Amino acid sequence: MTNMNLYSRGDKFFVRINMVLIALFTISTLYPFIYITAVSFSNGSEAAAGNVVWRPLGFTIGAYERVLSEPLFWSSYVNTFIYTIGGTIVSLIIIIPGAYALSRRQLVGRRFWNLMVAFTMWFNAGLIPFFLNMRDLGLMDSYFGLIIAFACNAFNIILLRNFFEAIPSSFEEAARMDGANEFQVLWKVFVPLSKPAIVTITLFCMVARWNGFFWAMVLLKDEGKIPLQVYLRQVIAELQDDEEFGQSLIDATYSFETVTSSIMVCSIIPVLIFYPFIQKYFNKGIMMGGVKE
Amino acid sequence: MAGVELKKIVKKYGNTQVVHGIDLVVEEKEFVVLVGPSGCAKSTTLRMVAGLEEITGGEITIDGRVCNTIAPKDRDVAMVFQNYALYPHLNVYENIAFGLRIRKEKKANIEASVEEVAEILGLTEYLERRPADLSGGQRQRVAMGRAIVRHPKVFLFDEPLSNLDAKLRTQMRAEIKRLHKRLGVTSIYVTHDQVEAMTLADRIVVMQDGRIEQIGTPMELFNNPVNTFVAGFIGSPPMNQIDAEVQKSSTGYFVEIDGAKIKLPKLKELEGAEGKTVVVGLRPEHFELGKVKGLNNLPVELDLVETLGSEALLHAMVANTPFVVKAETNGSIDHLEDISTVSINTDLIKVFDKETGLAMGHPTSTNS
Amino acid sequence: MENMQNRMSWLKEHLRNEWQIYVMLAPTIIWFIVFLYKPMYGLQIAFKDYSIFRGVANSPWVGFEHFHTLFGSDQFLRAVKNTFMISMLSLCFGFPMPIILALMFNEITNQVFKKTAQTIVYLPHFISTVIIAGIVITAFSPSAGIVNTFLEWLGFESIYFLIKPEWFRPIFIGSGIWQEAGFSSIVFLAAIAGVSPSLYESAVVDGASRWQMMWKITLPAILPTIIIMLIIRIGNLLEVGFELIILLYQPSTYSTGDVINTLIYRQGLQGAQYDLAAAAGLFNATVAFVLVMTANTISKRYSRTSLW
Repeated sequence: MTNMNLYSRGDKFFVRINMVLIALFTISTLYPFIYITAVSFSNGSEAAAGNVVWRPLGFTIGAYERVLSEPLFWSSYVNTFIYTIGGTIVSLIIIIPGAYALSRRQLVGRRFWNLMVAFTMWFNAGLIPFFLNMRDLGLMDSYFGLIIAFACNAFNIILLRNFFEAIPSSFEEAARMDGANEFQVLWKVFVPLSKPAIVTITLFCMVARWNGFFWAMVLLKDEGKIPLQVYLRQVIAELQDDEEFGQSLIDATYSFETVTSSIMVCSIIPVLIFYPFIQKYFNKGIMMGGVKE
Repeated sequence: MAGVELKKIVKKYGNTQVVHGIDLVVEEKEFVVLVGPSGCAKSTTLRMVAGLEEITGGEITIDGRVCNTIAPKDRDVAMVFQNYALYPHLNVYENIAFGLRIRKEKKANIEASVEEVAEILGLTEYLERRPADLSGGQRQRVAMGRAIVRHPKVFLFDEPLSNLDAKLRTQMRAEIKRLHKRLGVTSIYVTHDQVEAMTLADRIVVMQDGRIEQIGTPMELFNNPVNTFVAGFIGSPPMNQIDAEVQKSSTGYFVEIDGAKIKLPKLKELEGAEGKTVVVGLRPEHFELGKVKGLNNLPVELDLVETLGSEALLHAMVANTPFVVKAETNGSIDHLEDISTVSINTDLIKVFDKETGLAMGHPTSTNS
Repeated sequence: MENMQNRMSWLKEHLRNEWQIYVMLAPTIIWFIVFLYKPMYGLQIAFKDYSIFRGVANSPWVGFEHFHTLFGSDQFLRAVKNTFMISMLSLCFGFPMPIILALMFNEITNQVFKKTAQTIVYLPHFISTVIIAGIVITAFSPSAGIVNTFLEWLGFESIYFLIKPEWFRPIFIGSGIWQEAGFSSIVFLAAIAGVSPSLYESAVVDGASRWQMMWKITLPAILPTIIIMLIIRIGNLLEVGFELIILLYQPSTYSTGDVINTLIYRQGLQGAQYDLAAAAGLFNATVAFVLVMTANTISKRYSRTSLW
């Protein structure tokens, strides 16, 4: 099928047009990243005048210098790592044993427990009751609160449970005859056998944590605890409203555009570093996403 | 003694009963094969011995100890699974050592045991490999190694060869047999393949629909099947079974098949059975070709000759039933093409009751 | 009575043997109760005059008062209308894109080009909403943005897109497509990968062109996947990406951009009108629930497999 020589002229034309269209779509996907990178390294006045298109104009790292000299940037960066790593670990600690238990046939009330988990995919109480609940629990404005409140979700549990259920029962039986207890069966047999599923869930959790901003914005009042995304939003909101900032810095090395762009670039870099690992697994993960009860 | 005893074993799933009161005694060091068509509950029976299935009724004794409520790990049995259940993330060494590690054996002991087992099974040079890098036969050996290493009192095999191709299956069959001779451990082996059962077993247990049809040595089952089911199940190709009406003559009882008189052996059950329909069982291997004086001659019209090499299968229709005769080829099948009569000795003929399917004149059935 | 006793003793025995799986299950169940089911109990404030000092349980009941208020409020009705408009438009423009992309990717014969293009178009899915908003704000800015630079270059007047109500939905839906179209195509690519190559081979022997094969083989083969995905989309119709809306909209674009969840956010979380906002949330959740259940029923009938 891939032998181009066997294609008719019409087919060759079709394939080429197709390639051009895909290339255009790909470039338009990539362009915003190129654009903000170019802006972030540009001179403030060039960026503010809208002259930057492909490459930095009046190359400067002034915007980065300003951003990196801001203590809040660093603390929010560190916080993002805390939420991402801490949150992912807590998620796995809850999800893996939970999904395993829900996949066990001997579990009494298995249908009920599974329904209880799945129901939350169809109905949720909404923003306000969730927020009030967090306040009642005293989990506002705390690292632990933000981490534990989003540690679990029905989708990840069901995804992993389905994977566990698909493991041939003989693996478990063999381990059991060898004398393994439930914890050993899970840890020594099921977890290694489910590596792709667990990596996928880990990546889902990490991406969600790294990118999450809404609840961090709502639940955290202490600036010292906010993650990078909330900080970025604050900077955008502040600088956008601050007319003077734009006016007074016309000749400066940085502007609203270059500062926000450089924060965005700093925030994307870890994603880009992790992206190859993510990519290896998310194909499988999506395949498993065919969630069924 | 490390025997296994099943007393009136019953298994129910909800209201569906799948095992109907099985009695079986497996002697120490004996190799017993449970054989039967799929769905005959042979695997379920084995899994009850292993402790993987709850026993609904009856009692299982291993080494003189009742084990109904004993956890699988405490029964001192080891099982080889159909899909081997080798852990893909562990290498051969770790796979074999898995059970010992779980049981927290001393490191030195583990090493010694694994190496000994690897030596026995010829796996020494593969210990570092992952299961994915092994051939089917090697994986099969690792699965056995994992069972052997714990020195259990009983080995359980659940169709261990069914994932192998025909050639490897024959080879591994012989290896299992040799291993059993060497280790002398009581073994229960489940298969649907009667050839495997015949070649491996000290005794075979033929099962159907959750019941035991017959227990006996391979030759007992072959020579004296207790009923038409066992007769049809054991032997390849299976026994020809032809319905016919019993008739009486001055010399004894006979049946007429396609116009040929076939004399039946002297059997107590045949007395006064004139007019009754019976099933006449004729083993494909028991025929001689052509008309032979003193034997029962049966006319056959061949429609196909299948060559196997040293032997050939002659296919025909006899009394509107497919009929097979096994013949030697002597290097050529030309002489087989125009066979029109085959002959059989009366003593080799089996007779079964048409209604009950039970064999007449069977050593056990005559008592009951 | 005896039956009960038997069951109890069986349960005792069961727990003694299998306590470990219940230990494993406990954290999950506790988490679901504390963080998802307890708020459902808290939903009752939609029918109460909630005061922080009295708490959920002790606030007085007011029946459907909040719902009357909501349905008498232009703001809420506007939010309902915007929610449906934005989700319908997203569905119409956003749903076909991944399918088209998948079909196009399938026609690419150069594997290196295909891999590279896929890697790039999947990337935006992993980028934070805040950054998406940041890019949009930068790119559409009146003086500095690339979009206006481009417009001026073409001889048009520059537009302050982000304060124009008529531009809010196109920008929001466009950025949604930019972010998700590539990644969503994976599902369809997987479906295409499942089509037996012998179908194409026999079509080649019959002299079919690539274009014909795409229409007559690939598309029909992935039609079940398309329908399932469509049903899922309809089930989740109300789940507009309100986080992005919060980041993009301004008072001047509320008329086209304010949806139920953003209204809840402003009234409830910023304005502390918890009970009224909870009522709006309950309305949203109920409609969503009905949609999901309907979608699941349809899917069961169509494919004999439930979505979950």
